[in-house]
Order: sequence, then structure tokens, then C-alpha cells
Amino acid sequence: MSNTIEYPKFAVVGHPNKGKSSIVSALSHDSSVQIGDTPGTTQVKRSFPLKVDNKIVYELFDTPGFQRARQILAWLNEHKPSSADKRVDVVKAFIAEHRENPRFRDEIELLEPIVEGAGIIYVVDASKPYGPEYEIEMEILRWCGQPSMAILNLIGDEDYREEWKRALGQYFRLVRTFNPMRAKFNDHIELLEAMAHLNEEWTKSIKVAIDVLKKLHRQKIEQTIDVVVDYIIKSLSFVYKQKIKNKDATTEEKERAKERYKAQLIKNEKQLEREIESIWQHLGVKKEKEDLALDNIGLFSKQSASIFGLSQKELIVTGASAGAIGGLGIDLALGGGTMFLASLIGGAVGGVGAMMGFDNLYEMRVMGQKFGKKELSIGPMKNINFPYILLGRSLYYAYMISNRSHAKRDTLELKDDGFLLEDIFDAESRKKLEKLHTKLRAGDNPTDSMVEEYKDIVLKNYLAFVEAD
Amino acid sequence: MQTKNLNLSIKSYFDMSQLLQKYRGSHKENRELALQEERLQKAPVKLLLKWLDKNLYRVTTELNSKKYLEYLSSFNSALGLFSFVFGFLVGVGLLSYSGESPVNIVYYLLIVVFMPLFSMFVSLLSIIFPGKVGNFFTMLFPLHWIEKLVKAIAFRNKMDEFEIPFSSKFTKIFFIERVQLFSLIFSIGILISLVVMVVATDIAFGWSTTLQISVDAFHKFINYIGIWWAKIFPSAIPSLELIDMSHYFRLGAKVDNSMVENADKLGAWWKFLAMSTLFYSIILRFLFWLFTKELLHKQLEKEFLSLDGVSKILKEFNRPFVSTVAPKPERHLDIKKSTKERITPKKKEEYSTLLGWNYSIDEIKLINDATGVVVENMLEVGGSNSFTQDSGIANSLKGKVILYVKSWEPPTMDFIDFLEMVIDNSAVTKIEIYPLGTVGKYYKSNPKDIAVWERKIDTLKSDKVWIIDNE
Repeated sequence: MSNTIEYPKFAVVGHPNKGKSSIVSALSHDSSVQIGDTPGTTQVKRSFPLKVDNKIVYELFDTPGFQRARQILAWLNEHKPSSADKRVDVVKAFIAEHRENPRFRDEIELLEPIVEGAGIIYVVDASKPYGPEYEIEMEILRWCGQPSMAILNLIGDEDYREEWKRALGQYFRLVRTFNPMRAKFNDHIELLEAMAHLNEEWTKSIKVAIDVLKKLHRQKIEQTIDVVVDYIIKSLSFVYKQKIKNKDATTEEKERAKERYKAQLIKNEKQLEREIESIWQHLGVKKEKEDLALDNIGLFSKQSASIFGLSQKELIVTGASAGAIGGLGIDLALGGGTMFLASLIGGAVGGVGAMMGFDNLYEMRVMGQKFGKKELSIGPMKNINFPYILLGRSLYYAYMISNRSHAKRDTLELKDDGFLLEDIFDAESRKKLEKLHTKLRAGDNPTDSMVEEYKDIVLKNYLAFVEAD
Repeated sequence: MQTKNLNLSIKSYFDMSQLLQKYRGSHKENRELALQEERLQKAPVKLLLKWLDKNLYRVTTELNSKKYLEYLSSFNSALGLFSFVFGFLVGVGLLSYSGESPVNIVYYLLIVVFMPLFSMFVSLLSIIFPGKVGNFFTMLFPLHWIEKLVKAIAFRNKMDEFEIPFSSKFTKIFFIERVQLFSLIFSIGILISLVVMVVATDIAFGWSTTLQISVDAFHKFINYIGIWWAKIFPSAIPSLELIDMSHYFRLGAKVDNSMVENADKLGAWWKFLAMSTLFYSIILRFLFWLFTKELLHKQLEKEFLSLDGVSKILKEFNRPFVSTVAPKPERHLDIKKSTKERITPKKKEEYSTLLGWNYSIDEIKLINDATGVVVENMLEVGGSNSFTQDSGIANSLKGKVILYVKSWEPPTMDFIDFLEMVIDNSAVTKIEIYPLGTVGKYYKSNPKDIAVWERKIDTLKSDKVWIIDNE
């Protein structure tokens, strides 16, 4: 059988529990893969094709680990051909002869795609020492005669990469380190570039795949910024209206209106989180409540104001500037060196909390309605700090989700880790943003051009930030 | 489902708006549709209508468009009929001849020439000027007030049941378009009344005005009005003689004798009046109606494309759908915790043999220094041994055996095969598996690794095999 295939295929193989599924999960952006400490969670090979409009560009296979490698090698050696070029035929013969034998089910699952032309990606845990027992597996793979590379996965905290490299170098053309738990987009691309070099015939397809993935990544960022900006505009311009019985609203009516207004803003944020998760294919990600709680408490908390909003000094400067120059805009850079996102460790900034008291955030009015009825209106949010809190929180969430590996199954830790809003937005951009915020606070209907301008500013700055990250 | 009509309409706008609140499709579905309908890729509105056609079944409640169009249709029919009847009656009124004085064509021309021109001019101003200025011109139309009244009476409660998604700009253009249509119907009513009156009665036309206008000047004026059809239908332009003949003054309170003498000739005005009605009230109005209809369509298209959710779908039509995930879902394993107790290693107890799975003898000796286990008979198993060699070792064992294993390497079936051979050896009384950590961890094992070993050994259901606690 010819090994020529229309698109490259790669079988991720190795000893059980060395992170094959994690690597496949990270490379395929698929969080549904079962990853566990227990060996044998992958019982059959699974295909993960990269498809563009249903056309496969390349295909990855997650495979079960070797279980009875010694017995297979013994069989192969017993049927050793006269020349090395016939070895793959012996492997095929082994598969054909043992296809119905449950003892070799795992090996057949992992060898089958390779003898059908898939490149080999052999995964080892380089945080554990090398052992000669691996040579049996590597020898079997050598019999398959397919282009191959090894991936050093660092599951634990020790590092035995050097001894692994010395051993693997004898069997594999390329040896690369790839940690699926920490891998970011660029690591993924680098690995694909390495895979492209395995076989000259595959280079073109892999380059197409790289190009597609880069475009897809960019699209996801654009989509994320779109939903973030839509959310900010929606929340900033939101006005809650409620009909009231008498001429003036009662305390109870006011409280109820406040709660509903808050509830809607919280709902907006929850909706945004789900949208971001959906864009980055991270549905159902678990979050720690006790960390940076992006929930109903977090949105209006002093802590949130201190982390995501403007500092007290900037608030004063901004407030004064806003009073002085009104709609002309505020150069937030005047604050000089102040942080939009102070560190979490820094804790609450004194005074900001007081300014952030919820009752000071919005405007509450009673308005006349048709037939003499009255309406209680609450919003839009007037607090100058609020848009920055929304922006900071949503971009932080987007950053955390977009950089989360699909191999991770643990709880998302929402902690501030040197993520500063001032690192994202330069002074000029902040000035432009403030102009738009002023219009929104004034209750202006957001026009298409305003929305586009907002998106452009956020996208431009966020892209520059992630590229430099 | 086949689309019968891919033209944008108020119905499709309403349906799209309602569907988008419920369903927006996935990128995959939307892109697949765009690829299937490749010929429509450069016609986004048509592609969206195709999408609407494909997905409208998802709206299971009554379509808002149905309600709206029912009301709109009733409203249009009522106002259309009213306009026609009103036009007919106005025509009859204008053309009624009491026998005392002729029908003054100046009144008639005011209604069929100047009123339409003024009305179309105001409509144009209303279209050109945005906001309140435009709305001011709209308020000049009687229809504006009729519509308000009818809406308040008939539709108010029913239309409030759902939100009408149109913008104020669309509503204004829609209103202006309706004004043109009803004016057109009104004019048709007048034309029909003219024809009926001319056929059924004997009308003497004349012209009269307080202003000092000479016959020549009036003739010129009439010629200006009739300039559009003068060449193709010259008999519909009154002659100077006829104009002179039909000039009358009310002072006499009676019809002039010369007029009575030429009564048969005075009736010739009707052709001019009919053509004036046809051209200014009907043809011009019809063209203006088409123009407003086109404006309305453009505005509808603009609003259709800016419906919340449409830009997402359009982007998905154009962006290739990239899939990286497994097409088939994985059947996840249910992992159970082991309940078997662990044991502690016996330092100098009488183990008959120490086996090192994937360990060399030198490594075993080093480990012994750390664990304090002392056994004379030490053997390598696994690793570079052949399966036959291991099989021989398994069969030769007896008594209590201690087995060193690398805790971080989960037990493979190769190991289980060997262990089963040892279990099957009746001379062996006990097998103690010692999961060891790395040298760097001083051979201490990770609890998770030991748990993996425990779960696997549990599956053997053997009383001979025990795991040594090495956490």
C-alpha cells in the first residue's frame, strides 16, 4: 500500500499516561477529551481533523498507550524480513493477524494510522527519568518507517530532558518540548512548524493549517472584542424603567428598581462570560468563587473598583477634567503613572470604595407618562469609573480564557497576575475612550460609528498587548 | 425547503427580527448555507432571506408579521376605499353643474394639478429634511392625522402586543409612500368621476377668476400645463377661441348668451381636464410613488442588514468554518477509587525474592540502601528481558516476593501479564508491590501514582497481591 495521502496525518503515541490526550486536546482546542491520572482512558484511537469548510487540512489521532510492547516486538523479530524496507509490511501483517485479538487491541489502534501513512508524534514525560523499557516502543515505531518526532512533556516538577534527548535523538528526527498545560497559541504554531519539517510533502498543508489557525485566532480576538464592546455599551447605556403608582416613588419601589437594575447588569456580565467561553471553545469552565469573583458581588465591590477601575487620584483628575472641559474629553494620562488595574495584592485603594458606593453610580428619575402615569427610571450609569471596571474585568476574563489550554481540566483561577489595564491602553486611547464614555453617560444613543470606533480602539490596543505578551 | 420569493419585504423584515430573538445559527450551519448557495454570495440580503426561509420554522409562536400585515392590510383597504370614494365625490362635486353658472375649471385644476404638485413637493421636503423639520412637513398631510386617529381607535391594543421593530426614519418613509398611494387612488376616483360626469351629464365648462387675467395669458397658462401631451394629443389642448368663449363673470348671475349658443363647444374642455388629471394626478403621482417605494425598499434593506444578529450571520457566511475538534464524542470512563488497604514494607523480613520491574540490579541495590530492604535473591524483570525470560522467572518464584516498580509508570498489560503468572504460581504466597518514586524525590511516591497502581491491582481480585504504602 502506498503511504501517499492527500493530507498529513499524525498519530500521537507513547507509553500510557504520558499526556498524549492532553497534547491532542491542546492542539485541537477540544476540551471534551477525557484526561486523567488513570492509564487507559483512551481506549480507541480518536480522530481530530483540522477542517476548513469541511475540507481536511491535517488530521491528528489520539491513541491508546502501548500495553504489550515486548510481545509485539518479539513477534516482529520472529517475522523479521530480509530487508529494512519490508519491515512496515511485517507490522501490517501483525495488525492483520491480531485484529480480533483483544490482547493487542490498544497496539492495533495506535499502529493502524501509522501504517496507513500517519506521521509519528511520540510523547514522553520528561519530568521523569528515562528508562530502557521505552526503547522497545521506539523500536516498534521505527519498524513502521514513518516520519517521526518526539515531544517532551513536562508533567511533573523535575526535569530529565537532557537524558531523554540523548536517547530520543537516536530514534527521532526531531525532539521538541511542549507543555500542553501551559502552551499558548505561539507554542502551538511552533510545534506545527516543526511537524511541517517531518515530511517535505506535508509542508504545504501544514503551512496552510498554520495560516488558517492564525486567522482563526485573530478572528476569535476580534469576536471577543466585539462582544466585550457590545456588552460595555449595553451596560453603560442601560436604563431600567418601572411604572409607579403614585406621584413619587416609594422607598420600596426605589429599592426594587435598584435591585433589578443591578441584576440586569450582572446578567449582562454573565452573558458576556458565556459568549467569551463559547468563542474560545471553553464551555463549562469551572471558576473559583473565592478568587477574583466575577459575579454579582464582584461587579459592584470596592475590590473590583480598586483592581479594575481608575485609582483614586485618577478619579479625581478625571472628575475635575470632566467638570472643566465636559464633552471635549479627558486626558487620563494626566494621572501619570497611575494604574487602571492595581495589583490584587495591593488591595483596596482607600477612598475609591466610597466613591464607588452603588447609590452614587446612577441617576434615578421619576418621569411623567401618558394618561398621567408616572415612571421610575434608573440609569444610565453615571459613575466615571464604571466603564473602566467593566472593560478591565471583561478584558481580563477574555485574556484568561483565551490563554487557557484546552488540556486543562482544573478550576480557572481568576487572580490578577500583573495584568494592568494601563499596559493595554496608551494615553491617547484612554482619551478617546473617555470621549465615548462621556457620550454614553449622557444617554446618547450609540451610533454605528461610535461602536466601531470603540471596537477599533479596544482591538488595536488589545492586539498590541497580546502580541507583546 | 424551496424559497418561492427572495425579495425583501416587510414580512421578511418582521420574521427576521422575530427569528433572531430566538435563533441565530451556529457558524458551521451558517457557513454551510453560504457555501450551498454560492450564487447568492454577492447578494447578502438574498442569502439572509434564504437563511430566514430555512430557519423560520423555529419560530413556533404566531408570527408578528401575520398580525401586523393583517392590520396593515385592513388599514390600507379602509383608507384605499375611503380615498377612492372621497376622490370620486370630490370629482362629482367639482363637476356638478347647477345650470346657473358653468363648472369653473380653475377649481378643478387646483385639485388635479396644483394640489398634487404641492403634495409631492412637501413629501420631497419631508424626505430630504431629517428629524423634526421633516416631521413638520409630514404633519401637513391630512393622512397623518387620520392615521393617528385610526391607530388610536382600532389598532392600539393589538399592536402593542409586540414591538414594531422599525426605526422612525423607516416609519416616515413608509408613511410618505402610503400618502402617494392613497393620493393616487384618490386621483383615480376623480378621473373616473370626470369620465362618468362627462358621459352621463351635460357639463358646460368655463373659467372665472377675480384676478385680471387676459384670455391670451390664460391660454398661455393652459398651454404650459398641457405642454407634456400637446404634441401627441393636440385636441386635448383648448384653443384660444374656446378659452375666450368659456370666460365668464358671475356678475350677470346667468350664463352668457354666447356661451349658451356655443354650449356644445364648451364641453371640449373635458379632454384637457382628463389629460391634466391623468398626467399630474396619476402619472406623476405614480412615478413619485415608485420613487418612494424604492426609497422605502432601500431603507428596509438598510434596517434589515442592521438588525441585531444579522452582522454576526453575515460574518459567518463569509468566514471559513474551521473545526479542530473530534467529530465523534468520547465515551468517558468511570474511574472508581480503590478500597483495598495498603501495607508497610518489612525491612528485614524473609522475602524470598526481590524483583525490580524495569530496574537494573545496580539500581535495585541503590534503592535497597534507601528502603532498608534486604533480600539476597534479586532479579530484573521487564525492561530488556524477553517475555519468555520473565515467564521463566515467574514460574520459579516461591514464598513471599517483593516487587519494585516505578510508581510514575502506570502498570501496563505487559506487567499485568507477568503479575498474573506470578499469582498463578502456587508456590508464591504473597506479592508485595513497592511503588517507588524518582531518585530526586528520594523514592517517595506521589499519592496519585499509587492510587493508579491500586486501582489496577484491584482489578486482579487477588488476595496474594498487596501495595506497600510509600507516600
